[in-house]
Amino acid sequence: MGNCFSDEAGGKAAVGGTSSAAGGGAAAAANDAIDYYFKSRGFHGIFSQIELSFSATKLRDRDVLSKSDPMVVVYTKAKDGPPTEVFRTEVVLNSLNPTWIMKYAITFQFEVVQTLLFHVYDVDTQFHNVDVKMIKLDEQQFLGEASCALSEILTKSNRSLTLDLVQKEDSTISSHPHHGQLLVHAEECISSKTTTEMILRCSDLEHKDLFSRINPFLVISKTVESGIPIPVCKTEVLKNDHNPIWKPIFLNIQQVGSKDSPLVIEFYNFNSSGKHDLIGEARKSLADLEKLHSSGKGEILFSLNAGGHDRNKVLKSQLFVDKFSESIQYTFLDYLKGGCELNFMVAIDFTASNGNPRLPDSLHYLDPTGRLNAYQQAIVEVGEVLQFYDSDKRFPAWGFGARPIDGPVSHCFNLNGSNNHCEVDGIQGIMMSYSSALLNVSLAGPTLFGPVISTAALIASQSLANGGKKYFVLLIITDGVVTDLQETKDAIVKASDLPLSILIVGVGGADFKEMEILDADKGERLESSTGRVASRDIVQFVSFRHIQGGQISVVQGLLAELPTQFLTYMRSRDIQPNF
Amino acid sequence: MGSTSRTLEITVLSCEDLRIGRKWVKKNTYVMVRTDPLNYRATKMDTEGGAYPSWNQRLSIEMPLHERFITLEVHCKTASGDKTIGTARMPATDFMGGYLPENYLNFLSYRLRDAKGERNGIVNVSVKANLPEYLSSNDNDKKVSEINACSMTSKPAPAIPIEDGKNFGFVTGIPIWSKNHV
Repeated sequence: MGNCFSDEAGGKAAVGGTSSAAGGGAAAAANDAIDYYFKSRGFHGIFSQIELSFSATKLRDRDVLSKSDPMVVVYTKAKDGPPTEVFRTEVVLNSLNPTWIMKYAITFQFEVVQTLLFHVYDVDTQFHNVDVKMIKLDEQQFLGEASCALSEILTKSNRSLTLDLVQKEDSTISSHPHHGQLLVHAEECISSKTTTEMILRCSDLEHKDLFSRINPFLVISKTVESGIPIPVCKTEVLKNDHNPIWKPIFLNIQQVGSKDSPLVIEFYNFNSSGKHDLIGEARKSLADLEKLHSSGKGEILFSLNAGGHDRNKVLKSQLFVDKFSESIQYTFLDYLKGGCELNFMVAIDFTASNGNPRLPDSLHYLDPTGRLNAYQQAIVEVGEVLQFYDSDKRFPAWGFGARPIDGPVSHCFNLNGSNNHCEVDGIQGIMMSYSSALLNVSLAGPTLFGPVISTAALIASQSLANGGKKYFVLLIITDGVVTDLQETKDAIVKASDLPLSILIVGVGGADFKEMEILDADKGERLESSTGRVASRDIVQFVSFRHIQGGQISVVQGLLAELPTQFLTYMRSRDIQPNF
Repeated sequence: MGSTSRTLEITVLSCEDLRIGRKWVKKNTYVMVRTDPLNYRATKMDTEGGAYPSWNQRLSIEMPLHERFITLEVHCKTASGDKTIGTARMPATDFMGGYLPENYLNFLSYRLRDAKGERNGIVNVSVKANLPEYLSSNDNDKKVSEINACSMTSKPAPAIPIEDGKNFGFVTGIPIWSKNHV
């Protein structure tokens, strides 16, 4: 128990108010509990809380004497699963163009397609005083339904999506009179994105007498209803300083409540025994500190004399605020609102090691029953999520390691067979080009990623030159280990400063240990043959396995990191969403 | 008459894993940015960072257009004097030319090697190249990058002023590719 073993250096370090704490805290979930819930189940990434609000126009009139009394029921639908009811709005009386007040709170998860299904019902008069949850839906009049993915709503510039209500899921709109429209609007709930940076200084700090040494540090606490202050952050300990200036303190408004919340700033003298002496304190809110900064004046500290007669003894020391600045940390959804896009690109391995595509044991076998092979699965899993973030849904698609018709082996040929352009339309376009390419090329080798990565990098940098707000995601699906590792590293390093992320999915049973070197998470920063080191980690590698049931797939884990990579790129360049 | 150099804004960010001999560096490191033996800028000294120092200091340096490399030297002030503990060469093509737009903020990192050629850490910088004077910002980007490509290999010819009163009947100028040039 002796304090000779305690981590004194750790005890002197700043906690809670560092830039990483405020920045990371603001970027992460608004609710730590939710964040932990997801992380403990293997989910990573950014979770934003969204609120959906609803209104409708031109609903069908079902009631004879008065207008319909509509209510919305929301379902979530996992892939190929049955819909699960999650929310009901209130009943609006007597309106064919209602606006509902009740909002549905949902957590936005980038890496999965969150399909939502909406049913609108006309609630019978006799149920009007019943709690909405108790209303039996099969006793009500069904007015229409609509469905969409959550990301479809969030990628609209005004975050509102208008959906036509239909009577049955797969009926065409023309054969039925229209049933009105449902408008779904999304709002991101984040109590504050503002981070405050302050530099605090003290003059004439003294303790006991003028000659004793002082190792001062601050603890800033917020006061809660019960009156007990809760510490929010503490600064580093300065050595032997009567006029200390601490390193900048970063506080997010979320951490303290609001800009006007009263804060308690306590000045302590560090004691290696752990019992620090309280020298004095000041009670100010962030708004007060801002005023202190602009006026340049100092705030007099007072000390609480416990048990003494003089409750608030005024000290000679003064607190000064040398710097006070606020900055806004934009979220991923803010950038989407400002018009940023994620552009999906795909490159497929056509090397001979995949096996003859006509034989059922080949990784490229096209099953006539419609069961997707590993390549198709990877395309669908990644493409289905990313397609919503691409405005024109035209995706560059390439193959590598094959001989197109009678030409030489190409390590970057257009999947659509064209000589001029590489784009295909939608995920369907990728699947069709892939199937037809299998018939038109001879699988060869070796496995080289360099040419495909360089082509993708060229597209990304050309887009920059045209002032685009596009971020590119290249998916490489391969069955084997890359042959020229150094050339691949060179291409990656060259592309590491561009708005590009590379996802590599390994299929089949090969040993992908060497490929993990490309993913800097698992090793060192990549180095090119010219001595340049990758500016950031843009590659993620994962080995594909069939995952059945409710577990999250490894591909989802890959995708979950994308918003963070995107934000890092934008923030490091101080690019702001302009909306 | 055009300028023959560009102003570079190099922000020296940080270094990683610096050693002297086999021991980690303890303190007092700084970085010198050079275009040639006579033209250089230096950062302030980092006294606390040890083997992972950081400066975040912006330096402005003129780089003649024919220069192909910028040298980054990491120095350490030890008891036995000033030592160069690692150098790296940054090719101009890493931040100029190609399809990158002008005023692009490049974040670049390089492997440092000591005098014996052994690896000794990494240096992280950001570089922004400002337009040379004769290219104003009204030109479109494609044209500018083509001009860069052609000016990288040769110095632009100096213009000869035409004197008053004498008509020599010729004009000299710098060849510029127009956007219609195939």
